Amino acid sequence: MTSPSQPRDGVEITMGYRALPGQQEDRLEKRTVQPAAGDAPPWDANTTFAVVGRDLDRVDGLAKASGRAKYAYDMTFPGLLQAMILRSKVARGKLTGLELDEARRMPGIAAVVALKEIGAKVRFVGDGIAAVAGTNVHLVRDAIEKIRADYEIEEHNVDYLVAENAPLLAGDGQIDEPWPEKDAADVEAALAKAAIQHTATYRVEVQTHSSLETHGGVAKWNGNELDLWLSTQATFGCRGELMRALQGKGIDIAALTIHAEFVGGGFGSKISAGVEGLAVCLLAHAAQAPVKLMLDRFEEHTTTGNRPGALMQARAGVDEKGKIVAFDWRSWGHAGFTGSGGVAVPNYYTGDAKVRRDHKDLNCDTDPPRPMRAPGYPQGWFGAELFLDELATKAGIDPLTFRLQNDREQIRQDQWRFAAQRFGWEQGRARQNAANARVLWGVGLSSARWGNLGNPGRPPHGITCRIHQDGSVETRSGAQDIGVGLKTVMAMLTAEELGIDVKLVKATTGHTSDPSGPASGGSTVTPSLSPATRHAAFLGKQQLVELVAKHLGVPVADVDCKGGSVGTTKARLPWAEACKLIGPNPIDVRGQRFANYDGRPFHGSQCGVQMAEVAIDTTTGFVRVTRMFGIQDCGLVIAKKLAESQVLGAMIQGVSYALHEQRIMDKRSGRMLNGDFLRYKITGSQDLPELECHMHSLANGHDSVGAAGLGEPPSVASAAAIANAVFHALGTPVRHLPITPDKVLQALASRKG
Amino acid sequence: MKPFTYVVPKTLAEAAEAGKQANTLLKGAGIDLVDRMKERLQTPERVVNLLPLKDDLAGVAVDANGELRIGALTTLTQLEQHQALAAPELAALRASAAMTATPHVRNRATVAGNILQFTRCWYVRSEAFHCLHGGRGPTCLAMTGENRFHAVLGWQDCVRVHPSNLAPPLLALDAEYSTLLDGKTRRRKLSELFPAEPRAQNPEHTLAAGEIVTALHVPKQPANARSAYCESREKQSFDWATTACAVRVVLDGGKFTAADVVLGAVAPNPLPRPKAAALLVGQAPSPALFQKVAAAAFADASPLAHNDYKLVVGKAIVVQALEEATR
Repeated sequence: MTSPSQPRDGVEITMGYRALPGQQEDRLEKRTVQPAAGDAPPWDANTTFAVVGRDLDRVDGLAKASGRAKYAYDMTFPGLLQAMILRSKVARGKLTGLELDEARRMPGIAAVVALKEIGAKVRFVGDGIAAVAGTNVHLVRDAIEKIRADYEIEEHNVDYLVAENAPLLAGDGQIDEPWPEKDAADVEAALAKAAIQHTATYRVEVQTHSSLETHGGVAKWNGNELDLWLSTQATFGCRGELMRALQGKGIDIAALTIHAEFVGGGFGSKISAGVEGLAVCLLAHAAQAPVKLMLDRFEEHTTTGNRPGALMQARAGVDEKGKIVAFDWRSWGHAGFTGSGGVAVPNYYTGDAKVRRDHKDLNCDTDPPRPMRAPGYPQGWFGAELFLDELATKAGIDPLTFRLQNDREQIRQDQWRFAAQRFGWEQGRARQNAANARVLWGVGLSSARWGNLGNPGRPPHGITCRIHQDGSVETRSGAQDIGVGLKTVMAMLTAEELGIDVKLVKATTGHTSDPSGPASGGSTVTPSLSPATRHAAFLGKQQLVELVAKHLGVPVADVDCKGGSVGTTKARLPWAEACKLIGPNPIDVRGQRFANYDGRPFHGSQCGVQMAEVAIDTTTGFVRVTRMFGIQDCGLVIAKKLAESQVLGAMIQGVSYALHEQRIMDKRSGRMLNGDFLRYKITGSQDLPELECHMHSLANGHDSVGAAGLGEPPSVASAAAIANAVFHALGTPVRHLPITPDKVLQALASRKG
Repeated sequence: MKPFTYVVPKTLAEAAEAGKQANTLLKGAGIDLVDRMKERLQTPERVVNLLPLKDDLAGVAVDANGELRIGALTTLTQLEQHQALAAPELAALRASAAMTATPHVRNRATVAGNILQFTRCWYVRSEAFHCLHGGRGPTCLAMTGENRFHAVLGWQDCVRVHPSNLAPPLLALDAEYSTLLDGKTRRRKLSELFPAEPRAQNPEHTLAAGEIVTALHVPKQPANARSAYCESREKQSFDWATTACAVRVVLDGGKFTAADVVLGAVAPNPLPRPKAAALLVGQAPSPALFQKVAAAAFADASPLAHNDYKLVVGKAIVVQALEEATR
């Protein structure tokens, strides 16, 4: 079916954005795009919206606040068994014996399963050994204590900085090792010619995801069919993973449906079902009863991944005009026993410079990293942006001027100027701290980028749209909303396309019985599913329009759906009346995620800028972040309030990363010491600065909606901006996150010295 | 949690009787005890809940002599909000009650519970570690391990710190405590509640089995007395102090005539620093004097590998407290 609005020679759209408040120039471009046959016509910079972009509340906010929203953790059934996992206390070795029989005989125990075979390697403290299900957690814990696990213990190391191939560090923490020779000639020649040169080493500690809902789920078998309520950010991925694993164990399984309608956060840690996901299915199968297995906070901190620590070093030079001419970067990531501790750095400052980058992962005997909001970016941006401020300071250039001189992105050029004005950058830089001041003030900035415009999926992702005779509308995706707002986005897009009130639309997510969608990873869900949602509503609308046209006796082409009614300019039916034409079978259509339009979108990635102000007590070393401002582009802003919430949330997480969070390991035992919420410190409400953000909505022209996601983009800049503000306040950088009082005092002492 | 017998006494005598039995723990609000029981760090056979005795053991009152009686089960919120604590000489006590944990905790946590807290040492508090504390192992693991939050002063074989916020100001205010044991009420100096030798095998307090703290007593303060309490943390709320200091001073004619300085969170006991305080007496307040007192308060410090920052911060907190008390 081809829409009349799609001529074969394409559709001309206007991409870009109108001047930001206080600025003069619009950044608009015209382009012709070729929507797929049957797709909804593209929205662009000239589209006027009734619903999209408005400040609506989260559609499931009340359900969540009132407890009606049921998370995996909340699921319960008659006869539900509780379960726990026996964890290795050994950091490295081999499992040589596992005696489960005594545990099986303990009172109230329904099932015990081994999670490791004899002879298997044990890789870190917390590695899963066996799992037990029983009538309550106390009896299960009793049984866990009766399991005898024997190990052949090997020497372990949990400090990646002393792992094999780790670089040598000088006493002051700076890397004390020659730069590699490979591809060195160009960058060294450019450095030699530079007017100003700088070299420094940076470090970040391990941050855990700390989702409020821990990992785990509730499994319930019915014959050979399994329903699993799982706290996950990848319903379809986990379904595939668990089907393979269960079949691999020889279990007869005909159907597996994952339910994740509400998920209490993931931040990247819940893409795999993990040991606990498989264990709960196996226990429920063995016990022939529903089983609940949710991790406790210590397990959550120690076995479900983390944002890896990293050691980074940069050297660079600028010419007389303050242009970066050489940028040499190397990093080492804390990869755990397997996995990647990769680090990314900005590439838009160094367009014409000689650039070299090198990264190595260092393995040691800890839980490996998992993606966490912009994997590798907050680490690298902290190092690179603080390094650039140090370089600019050495060259006598204001950090903002330095960015404007070197940043090649037009969007960010506008954002830098806008943010500077809104935040009061010049006043912040000009503020003088008295020589003997107890409190030092400073301001800092950082850029951000992320690049994801969604993926169609193979086969393509879809969305179900149903329009019922009673006027209610359903929009359904099998993908998960991990709390950021997919349901609200789907409801708003559907209401926009149908010209109705959002309250008429019920959005449902997270059941794999509904059409497929991507994992919540890489900020892909909104850009992947927003055009599919719109397409579904568009198809439903066409069917309703046909019914109404027939009813009114007018041509289909004359009928539209807007303002809560359906009809022509002369004769219109209110939405409720129009829907009565549908009959008992609802309009039930499936929208599709088509590929992005061929050709260049307005911008291939997302741009952002953040600025921060700090006040530091020089007597105690205590850093208070007092103000932060962020401007963030995510293509078309659909649900403004939720988009802002994503940006502000990322800034809060950034304060926490900059000042508070760090995993502290006991080297002798290989065990995390602060695996709770008392000593693993997370920014609290009293620590929050005044936060403000501005959503930079732009028409990106990559699909019919043109949206991007916000999981990663706003997470990139915050810690870097805070570290730069600390540098400004102290006059000397703190090159190691988190910036705790002891490090500030050290920096102050080095300044005096 | 392991199964246990839960005793709900109707009278103080009944509670005291039950508390004397072997392997029995007394529970106030249970803020920390319940957590430790859930983690099986503590597996008592019997728990005596003292909260039903609130009518007798909670509340703040001032007697005819101006002495403040604080019932053991008074919550931190009740203490902080009591009008008697508006007096400037009690500002230290009020401040410490007000900055403990969060409003949720303060609404439940009791004064005696705060003072009798179990250590927060991350080695002691994990069943995975077998350290010297409580005789579970041969050495203090924190001494040579990760010790950024541990003691810098007054430690012997165990480098835990005493976590109570209320103890330093109460000591500075010369408080006493009453207990009930074997039907007898005893009243002693608060300093006697803490072990003279804070060694690994000694608990955080000197109470006998079944001995119940019934009240704290803060004597009427001298004329012109002022007090203040400050602490350093890594977060602005819901965080443990890294260092703390309570001071009480008496200023007469522009000079200190009496002074007390008590440190918290830096030693296994809340730690009075009489030598440092003595430097104040006979002197007029000045920044240089406060610095000198702060230095003296940490004069015999022995920091560990990761906590020498506490000396700098701790001294700053002593100065802050003195500034606040003389403002």
